Formats: sequence, C-alpha cells, structure tokens
Amino acid sequence: MMLIDQYGYRSGLRKVNVMEKFCFSVTTLLLCILSRSFSVSILVLLSLGWLTIRKGGIPVRRYIKLMRIPAVFLLLSTLAILVNISKTPLDAYAVPAGPYYITGSTESVIFGLRLILSSLSAVSCLYFLSLSTPVTDLIGILKKLRCPALLIELFLLIYRFIFVLMSEASAVRISQESRLSCRNFKTAVRAFGGMASALFIRAVMRSGRLYDAMESRCYDGTIRVLLEEYPPKKKEIICMILFELLLLSITIGRNIYI
Amino acid sequence: MKNNQKIIVTAVLAAAVIFGFGRTASAMHIMEGYLPPQLCISWGALSLPFLAAGFFSIKKTVSKDRRLMTILAMSGAFIFVISSLKIPSVTGSCSHMTGTGLGAILFGPLAVSILGIIVLIFQAVLLAHGGLTTLGANTFSMAIAGPFLSFAVYKVCQKCRLNRRISVFLAAMLGDIFTYCITSVQLALAYPSEQGGFLASAAKFLGVFAPTQLPLAIVEGILTVVIIISLESYARPELKILDFIKEGHAYEK
Repeated sequence: MMLIDQYGYRSGLRKVNVMEKFCFSVTTLLLCILSRSFSVSILVLLSLGWLTIRKGGIPVRRYIKLMRIPAVFLLLSTLAILVNISKTPLDAYAVPAGPYYITGSTESVIFGLRLILSSLSAVSCLYFLSLSTPVTDLIGILKKLRCPALLIELFLLIYRFIFVLMSEASAVRISQESRLSCRNFKTAVRAFGGMASALFIRAVMRSGRLYDAMESRCYDGTIRVLLEEYPPKKKEIICMILFELLLLSITIGRNIYI
Repeated sequence: MKNNQKIIVTAVLAAAVIFGFGRTASAMHIMEGYLPPQLCISWGALSLPFLAAGFFSIKKTVSKDRRLMTILAMSGAFIFVISSLKIPSVTGSCSHMTGTGLGAILFGPLAVSILGIIVLIFQAVLLAHGGLTTLGANTFSMAIAGPFLSFAVYKVCQKCRLNRRISVFLAAMLGDIFTYCITSVQLALAYPSEQGGFLASAAKFLGVFAPTQLPLAIVEGILTVVIIISLESYARPELKILDFIKEGHAYEK
C-alpha cells in the first residue's frame, strides 16, 4: 500500500544530508514552475529520474508506474484547457458541432503540452524527495523550519497511527471479503460502513491505551527522538548549485531570447 | 450533428473518459506543479487564517486535557486511512472518499483544517496525491471550504429538524460537491479560457470532472450516512469524547 514509504527507507540516497535533499528538490521544483519551459522540464525529468533510479535504487518499472498516478488528473484538466467551444474556429483544429465549433488554437495546444511536461517534472522533484527521505527525517526539516511543537507532535503521532490503522483496516477488509462483502453495491457499502466504524472504535480505544502507556513513561507533550544526522558533503552541494544555476540560466536566457 | 447525436457523442466521450482513465480517479487533488507560483502563494495565504484558528482551537483542547492529543492524532490517521481506501463505486472505477464531510461532522471544521493539512502533506509525500506547491490550494478546497460547508449544512439541517440520515447525507454530499467546485474555480483562475475567459474555463473544468466527481459525491454521502449510523449505535461513549474536541472551543467563547 505505502510503497513510497518503504522505498524511502531503502533508498541509496537516504544517507545524504536531509536539508540538502530538501533544498535541492524544492528549488528545482520552484524553477520548474517558474520557467514552464520544455528544456528545463525535460532536463529536470531526466536528471531527477536518473538520480532516483540509479542513485536511489528504485526499480525503473516501479518509477514509471508511480509517474502514472498523476496522469488522470493531468489528462482531464489539460483537456479542459485544450478544448474550446466557440462560434469561430481557431487555428489548430476545429470540429463543427451544430452552430458551434469544438476548437483550439495552436498556442493553447503548445501551452497544454508544456503544462503537462512541467507538471510531470515537478512531480519527479516530489518523488526525488519522498523516495529518498523517510517521513521521520522530514519531521527534522519541519523542526528546522520552526514549525510549532504541537504540529510536529501531531505529525509524528499521525504518521505512526496511519500504519496501525492501515493494518487494522486491511485485516477487517480481508475478513469481510472472505464473507463475500463485495457481492453487490449494497453489501459493499454496508461493509465499508461497518469497517469504518469498527476502525474508529478501535482507533479511540487504542489512543487511550497509548496515552496511558506514554504517560507512564513520563510523556509531557513532546516525544524526543534522536535523529541520525548525516553531515552535508561539499561535492554534493557544489553539484547541486551548478545544476540549479544551469536551470536558472536556461530560464533567464529563454526570457531574454524571446 | 443533430441534438440527439451530440448528446450521444458526449455521453460516449464521458464513458470513455471514465472507463479509460478513471481507474484511479482519486479525490480532486491539484497535482504538483500545476498551478503558477503566484496562485500557490495566494491560496496558501488565504488558508492561513483558518489554519491559525484551527491551531489555537486544538491548542486549547489539548491544554485542557492532554489525553485528547492522541485522540486527535488518531482522528487524523483515521481520515487518512478512510480516504486512501478503495470505496465501492457504481461506475466500476476505483475511487476514494475525500472524508471531508465525515471529518467535519465528527471533529468540527476547525480541528479538521489542521488535521486536513497534515493529511494532505502525507498524501502528497506518501501517495503522490497533490503536492507541496499546490498544498495551499488543496488545503483551501479540501480541508477548509468543504468541511466548513458540510458543517454548516449539517447544523442548518439539525435546526430544521430534518431526518438525521438526510442531514448527514446532504452535508457530506454538498461538502464534496463544493470541494469539487472550488477546485474547478482554482484551476479556472489559473488557466482562463481563450474564449470567454474565466467563466467559460470554470464551466469546462466543472464539466470535465463531473463524470467522476458527481457519482463519487453521492457514494460518499451514502457511505458517510452508513458510517455515522453505525457509529451512533456502537460507539456512543467514543463519540462523547469527540464533543470535547468539537465544542471545547465553543464553550470557552
């Protein structure tokens, strides 16, 4: 279910300094959406894909499958950008439908393609971060960004509870399915409701027990965890800065050129 | 083409979209990198006051009874798990609940805004639904606008002494539809149409997502009713604890 999480722990890039990875993926992400150009997008897509697959050790097939997750959204919403309905046909294509045309301009077609590509490259930045950094390390970043302690606490607890509830839910699911809960829509809805309420009751019960357990170990509102710190490496930082400068120069150069 | 033919063609197109791509149609998360930077920032800024209000309300509940902390966290995880499970659907596609209506009814809209943004971060990082740059926009539509409307509808229905099932159904369904409308508006503001501008573009986005979102809203409404009803028959004591989270804030005022 949570494959991304598992790969995050196993990644070959796990031992790279967290702040380095975070800054790298976020700046690349920002440059992607700031420039929205074909060249930057393709460069980012290829190089971050290479980093994640080669250096991180994610199987290629799995990576491609993960890249398909946003595909539905991209296709549908870009469809809405590409297609116009108007009385006058535009230059790229025009399908007459009654008094109107289903039509689009070349400009919008290029714009749509650019949007898809730059969005995919942005997703590859997100994957670079999440496939190389476990959530426990990301919490360290939140701390450095001065996020309120209460939120960090919630974040940590929710992360832990997700897995607890997920395994409970899948156990309930299996037992329901072995009793033919998915025979038709009505039984399926009933089973889902039953599962959710059982899950909720167990969640509340468990949280009570968990609090007792934590309090007996002197819980006072903060869970203190020792984070493994990996020192930043000069070579990596220089490579990253060079890469960002390359992207930046492409972005700026393109603007001057046009 | 005649009118009937046009209708048939659109229906076939919609069916093709649903069966062709709709296999993993999730809730309406705007994908990473899909919004221009200015809009990312402004939607984030718009969500901030609500998040601040939610934060202070949670802080108040927790300072009153520290035990509620773990329950809040469990609630957040519950929303995440419920929204990541496949739900039974009519079209045969695999879809997910948004959980906005359920969350708002159970925990109140203020707490849900904070739980929602944490859940959205996890969805972005662990499931690649939504993203970091679009976090503000997604938070506004799914963790603020939807739950607030759901909660308002639920309260109004209760005032009018409507049947409980109907009021829960309406709250969840309308909350879901509202989320979907807000997302369409967000997309339309980012990408106004060449012909007809913002309004035409909003209509297009609404139309494109309607075949997946409208059935989903109805299914979500039904599921929320089933969940709330079975919670009320099996989990009264647990529900009582939640009233602290929901109304702890209201008492203090």
